[in-house]
Amino acid sequence: METEKKKSLLEKYDIPIHHLDFAYVEKCTNAREMEKIVHILRSGQEGYYPDLLRCSEEKLKALKPDSKLFRYEEPIKQSNVLDKKELEPILEWTDDIKTKDSALNELKKEKLVLELPNVRKLSKIELDKQSNEPSKPVAKVSMQSKTKNKDDRIKSTDYRKWDKYDPDEEILRMDLDEERGKEQAEQRITSHQKSANEKELQNEKASLFERLQTELKNLSQLEREQFAERHRLRGNEYFKAKEYDGAIEEYNCAILYDPENAARAYNNRAVSHLKLKKYFSAMTDCQACLQLEPNNVKAHLRLAEANCAEGKKLEALSIYKKVLELEPDNVSAKNSVEKLTSQLGEVAPASATRLTIEELDPPELKTSNSKKQLVKSTQPVAKKQIPTKAANTTPTKDYDLAELIKPNRMVKSKLVSAAEALGNQLQAPKGDAPKKPPLPLSPKESILRLPQDKLNISNKLLIQEI
Amino acid sequence: MDKPQLIEHLHEAVNYTVYDTKWVPLSAKFVVLGSKANGHGIMDIYELNQDKLVKVKSVEKKVAFKCGTFGAASLRNRHMAIGDFEGRLQVLDMEQPDLPVYNVKAHSGIINTIDAIGGTQIDCGAPEIVTGSRDGAVRVWDIRQGQAPVVDMSPPPQMGDGVNQSSARRDCWAVAFGNTYNAEERIVAAGYDNGDLKIFDLRTLSVRWEATMKNGICGLEFDRREIPMNKLAVTTLEGGLLVYDMRTQHPTKGFSYVEERNAGRSVGTNGVISGPKATVWAVRHLPQNRDLFMTGGGTGSVRLWQYEYPDKRVIDDSDGNKLGVAGALNMVSAATLSSQPVHCFDWHPDKLGLAVCGAFDQSVRVLITTKLNTY
Repeated sequence: METEKKKSLLEKYDIPIHHLDFAYVEKCTNAREMEKIVHILRSGQEGYYPDLLRCSEEKLKALKPDSKLFRYEEPIKQSNVLDKKELEPILEWTDDIKTKDSALNELKKEKLVLELPNVRKLSKIELDKQSNEPSKPVAKVSMQSKTKNKDDRIKSTDYRKWDKYDPDEEILRMDLDEERGKEQAEQRITSHQKSANEKELQNEKASLFERLQTELKNLSQLEREQFAERHRLRGNEYFKAKEYDGAIEEYNCAILYDPENAARAYNNRAVSHLKLKKYFSAMTDCQACLQLEPNNVKAHLRLAEANCAEGKKLEALSIYKKVLELEPDNVSAKNSVEKLTSQLGEVAPASATRLTIEELDPPELKTSNSKKQLVKSTQPVAKKQIPTKAANTTPTKDYDLAELIKPNRMVKSKLVSAAEALGNQLQAPKGDAPKKPPLPLSPKESILRLPQDKLNISNKLLIQEI
Repeated sequence: MDKPQLIEHLHEAVNYTVYDTKWVPLSAKFVVLGSKANGHGIMDIYELNQDKLVKVKSVEKKVAFKCGTFGAASLRNRHMAIGDFEGRLQVLDMEQPDLPVYNVKAHSGIINTIDAIGGTQIDCGAPEIVTGSRDGAVRVWDIRQGQAPVVDMSPPPQMGDGVNQSSARRDCWAVAFGNTYNAEERIVAAGYDNGDLKIFDLRTLSVRWEATMKNGICGLEFDRREIPMNKLAVTTLEGGLLVYDMRTQHPTKGFSYVEERNAGRSVGTNGVISGPKATVWAVRHLPQNRDLFMTGGGTGSVRLWQYEYPDKRVIDDSDGNKLGVAGALNMVSAATLSSQPVHCFDWHPDKLGLAVCGAFDQSVRVLITTKLNTY
């Protein structure tokens, strides 16, 4: 009986006995099989081979480090294994929390008049009724179809009826039935989900914030700190799950609850904005954080990162340098400084370069514009508008025909040139660094060539039209 | 060793059966609820004092206490809601425990489980308490309401009244609040002894979803109560642990889940977890990190798990419906505390890694978990 009931693991896993061998284990690459081998060896059914077991466990660890066979459980350790140092924070914390505790007890005496939401109406959820409801329609349908089947079934010999039978129609009917069933299921779900558009949601949020603000005045600093901290932690959780919108919302709340100690919340919100590529918001958050904590290294780094992403490389560089003043060994700041200086060439004082940035941008556009014989370029026009102006300001009536064709082309070239203008903005300081390294110029030209070519084409067209 | 370690900081043996342990919010105190040998209920309040536990207060009442919670209490008046063996729900002020703030005969049988919400949230709905009982009913209470539940989710009367046990009535073993992110939304999850899991929507007053596990459900918890439903952890008899992704509900398949069948397995040779299956009694998410949670098992062990999200949490199935994708479970650390089941566990809401747990060996332990901040 026993032998029949209990197959050995070796038989159960169907592993030949010669696989329990150093040579085989050494070259085995199948994690699943290794798991089985380790299991067999651990069970001791085939004998006790400590060295082989150790060897195969090591192999399994290499193949599949998170295998369930490595789930160990130990008897719990006593607190004496911890260093005094490790226990200290807890002891300190108990003292700290006790002061908070007694402060709360003091607060208890003050009557708090928080407006609580109304008590909900008395109601009942029927257990069986609800549970039957979803299954009912299905049951009905099947009942109907059953009865139908009995009546409608066409006998194989009834040829007249078969003549009338249209398979396409039947298929269509089946499809419709299926769709209806699906719709019903979906409706059930959507009835639970709120149908609110974004605007409503925003309004709701705004009014919520207002209400919160009025209620916050009634709270003590201690309570506000607690609430803010909780929101901040929840924001961190959202951030970890890569749900940055949720994170930003939680940080918003944290800042609202406790604006005076919100440096960390600002800082975290800045990263979330960075992740969403909202660089401007990220910068303002970093600045807010720096106002509260002027020497916060992380905030500086993030501000620099945002600046860099926005194309303000010089600002970024100066911020990185500031970080190095605060923390001379900061690796990421060092790396970024190296990278930026290699990109920018020798760096001049910030003031000098700033002037040249302004100088460089328009002339580039002017050159391209001048080919179009634009007169109006003296006016400081926004870069994006320039091509459209070119279209609009072509003065004589002879151009009318050309304008009919142009819009398509102009839109194209406008996009390119706009992108180019942005690109130039990014690269502007490059060419303009005072010592003017010759290298950066060449890529600029290559980038510039593209829109010019297109412009030339359009110009050619124009000329042809004339 | 960069793995979190579980350490028993303090140990207190008591002379009664412990049923629940809970930290008092924003303090170094915790409450122990239990039943004395004579059937009287006992509530002890302990405080951490350097490296000792000091008993601050002890209250005895006529009926044994089963479960308690601070979820509906504001920070100013930290009142505890307690359910007892005779189905009575009372809200006690820790300073004057003799005179309950609120007292109602909530159920005809023992209150197995309790959860509460809304105490520390502003503008997110009323503070409410939910109880689940042997009489098969799940009821939601508002202490401003008087003697009737605000929402009643009980089986129909033909199924017996709970006193005269009829087999049709299921015993409710676990309840949990969730999805409370604005003034209207609120969800109650309830688990029953036959493995039924019901999700009640309190806004639409309907059963949102139902499922059936293979075994009775002992523990339930949403990873966070105050956010749009994210995850729901379910523990069962026979060592089952399931984590549902509650973000996406498929029209027919419902919520997706990841299952760990051996979560309650006991320790075999050499500390390897390979022994027989045992109940997973409780599940508690870390308040500082919702993707870590602890389970307490029938073999006297506590195990720390990490949930890893999949790359994409939602996919479209062949019909164009949204289908949730469950992540993976990873056992981070495990330790054996006792020879008896560890059935209640509570993380400190304000201190990372500090926890208190109770086991059926008549003792209460304060645990420290190290290196949780690295996750």
